[in-house]
Amino acid sequence: MAKDVDRRIFLKGLTLSALALGDVVAFGDLLWASTLANGQKVALAKTAIFVDKTLCSGCRVCEMVCSNLNCEGRNTSSLARLSVEKEYIKGDYGPKVCYQCSDPPCLKVCPVGALQVEERSGAFTRIIDDSLCIGCQQCIEACQQYFRPPRPKFDVQKQQSIECHLCFGDPQCVKFCPMGVLRVEYSEQGLLVGYPVIKED
Amino acid sequence: MTPSGGWVGKILRVDLTTGKTSEISTFDYVPKFLGGRGLGAKICWDEVSSEVGAFDPENRLILATGPLQGTLAPSSGRLTVVGKSPQTGPIESHARSGVGGHFAPQLKWAGYDALIIQGRASKPVYLWITDQKAEILDATSLWGLDTYQTQQMIWKLHGDKTRVMVIGKAGENRSRIACILTDTGDAAGQGGFGGVMGSKNLKAIAVRGTGSVTVARPKELMQLTHDIHRLFARKSLKSDPFQPEEKDFKYNIWGGGYGRGGLTLLDGELLDLCNDPSSGYSQTPDGCFSCPVACRSRVKGPDITPGVALCAQSYMYLESMVQEPEKGYSKITWQAAKLADLYGINSYELMAIIPWLSDCYREKLISEQETGLPLNEIGSWKFISVLLQKMADREGFGDLLAEGGLRAAAKLGGKAEELSWMYYPRAGKFGGYREHWVYLGGFPTGYAVPTLALMWVLDNRDALVSHSYISMLWGAAFINGQNALTAVPEEIFPILKPVMKAVYGSEEAAEFFQPDGKSLNWKWAAPIVKRYHEHSLLKDSYILCDILFPYMFNANSPDHVGDTSFESRLYSAVTGDEMSEEESYRKGEMLCTLERALAARVGRTRGDDIFHDIYFEKEDAGGRKYLREDLERSKSDYYRLMGWDVESGIPTHSTLERLGLKDVAEGLVKKPEPGLPIP
Repeated sequence: MAKDVDRRIFLKGLTLSALALGDVVAFGDLLWASTLANGQKVALAKTAIFVDKTLCSGCRVCEMVCSNLNCEGRNTSSLARLSVEKEYIKGDYGPKVCYQCSDPPCLKVCPVGALQVEERSGAFTRIIDDSLCIGCQQCIEACQQYFRPPRPKFDVQKQQSIECHLCFGDPQCVKFCPMGVLRVEYSEQGLLVGYPVIKED
Repeated sequence: MTPSGGWVGKILRVDLTTGKTSEISTFDYVPKFLGGRGLGAKICWDEVSSEVGAFDPENRLILATGPLQGTLAPSSGRLTVVGKSPQTGPIESHARSGVGGHFAPQLKWAGYDALIIQGRASKPVYLWITDQKAEILDATSLWGLDTYQTQQMIWKLHGDKTRVMVIGKAGENRSRIACILTDTGDAAGQGGFGGVMGSKNLKAIAVRGTGSVTVARPKELMQLTHDIHRLFARKSLKSDPFQPEEKDFKYNIWGGGYGRGGLTLLDGELLDLCNDPSSGYSQTPDGCFSCPVACRSRVKGPDITPGVALCAQSYMYLESMVQEPEKGYSKITWQAAKLADLYGINSYELMAIIPWLSDCYREKLISEQETGLPLNEIGSWKFISVLLQKMADREGFGDLLAEGGLRAAAKLGGKAEELSWMYYPRAGKFGGYREHWVYLGGFPTGYAVPTLALMWVLDNRDALVSHSYISMLWGAAFINGQNALTAVPEEIFPILKPVMKAVYGSEEAAEFFQPDGKSLNWKWAAPIVKRYHEHSLLKDSYILCDILFPYMFNANSPDHVGDTSFESRLYSAVTGDEMSEEESYRKGEMLCTLERALAARVGRTRGDDIFHDIYFEKEDAGGRKYLREDLERSKSDYYRLMGWDVESGIPTHSTLERLGLKDVAEGLVKKPEPGLPIP
């Protein structure tokens, strides 16, 4: 069921976007949407993780594999780049993943350009360059305007923000999820997902 | 050298009498005592003397995690509760109780490997632990609330990411069969530690942590976890989360024949509703922390109490299915189990108490009038709701039943006590735990298995809580197209042979009885049970779940041989402390001997390792019997293998010293010289 819901949001995104995103433009085969303060446009991500929460067992394997791999073996929910939200008594579970927003609020507010669109691999993933991040947490606040919990998190030990980078194209949460809740969606043209197609979650 | 991963390094001590908290280093105890059950046993040895009663303020309630909790290691959501148990009887003795769910990782992330709770608060309190801080807070307004309400109140105060271990009315009223519950249905049931919590005036323990557990070799842990996931689970079909997307793959639990899920096996009203998308009822697999299997399911619906379901919730009130056969597993069956969860009563114990009451009523040993229970309607909602309310409030006859089936039967005495032996097999001073009905009476229902008998007499709780041994037997039955209820021993021997050879070193070990079919084969009982105990102690100390580990039986391969090296490999990858499988068994042997020393200190001897007479009188479905002399000989073999004194069943001084337990050796009273000939 949630798969359908996701699908609907995605499709709705595609149709709505033509109306809502006045400045989606095509360069070659790829769509470019995000506009930075300096007027520069950035490409839509080609890959994003989609969620079918009806299958979620709430086991948090996704969170653990993420923090284990991406935080040098520091295993914990608070350092995972996705969050399993659970209402235990109602029995409502599901992971909240980074949307790889079409027009990422986090990217626009970063004062030092640490939030970037990774272009080298051609996946156009939104990533944080930790050699630049100063730990101001503005990206977290920007995301929080629309999405809760905010998808970037703060690594207290390193005093830097962390963010889903799709494990450089091979998301381990998707691979390890024992239920099949998570899947990778890919579009050669780029995916119109996240903000501003979805403005609240 | 301090290991580089796994443990977070501190144990929190809370003295409720003085209201003070303090910390000790986990590394005073580990890696030697690992964690969980092993760590708890050593703390109890050091701090809980033999005179201390279970409900005395001096008793310790220990909630211990192990090195693997809070990491990616599969099934590492578990916690072990340890202390002097009020349920063991007639003597209160050391016991342990495991619980899954999501509490243990939060405790580690909050900075603590274990909690030691001692003393008694002057008024109801709860404990709030977050990121290296602990506070004892007033719980006057929580006292009397059910287990769900209490958690909801705490979530309001401390956020819904907080995980809570909580007692209900049964625990508050010091029932000997009260559980400690977390979330909607995970409970430390056996042992009666809910009553211990109540005796300390402690309503709940709330934990929230944002720290982390360091894994020494993260890449290796990933690879191992991936390999284990592949053996146990596949991603689900989108249309049915209980089915694997890979056709013919068997979820490698329960021997592979039952698959995922709690209620999926029990036909009836509730399952029909869950399977009907328009009904508003549903059932979905529900996983404990970091577990690929999701053996439980969560059940919800418009007019039922939502929650997770596994054995306890499924089988607690089967009498209702007899009462209303046309409905099968009904909403009443479910609500009965949920009511026990809300009061915080151990459902497993109720699975003995209810049929025993039924037996006593049938034999006219008790009446509706004197008990105040509608005994003529066992199976109805009226009966179970009155029974549980009286037990939780210790009202009338419920006061007696709150002491547990064993003590209640002893109080009634005579025929009523004799009838209870059907459910409480272990005689002597260390009984109190109910039999898992399909096991000891024979495998699976009608056949005697010597190893199971030896496991039962030796344990300090209900044995066979390490399910993988039974799963192996079930698995072999499934291969033959039989199941746990219809399996025939001689037909599963050929399938078990390569498996038993791999795990216990002998093909012959797979044969439960002699080739003539007339007598049981006891030859392998002692060495198998020794290895079983080592596996169990290690599994409860790392801590891992017995639904997965030790991994003995592979339902998906031609030879069905599993791999018992996973636990020590997970341990090595997480802690960075290299331990081979062989070394781990020596540690398991040491921990098992330590637990025996704890029992011996309160008077357990060879004579307590025995069944009631009926277990020697009945013939199994093949016409074979457990013979006393066989059991006694196997006990001697076992004690010898363990290096315990054969006459007394008590670990010898030299064995304890050899195992590095010199202080334990000195603490054990010297036993008399052997006199009588030993079988």
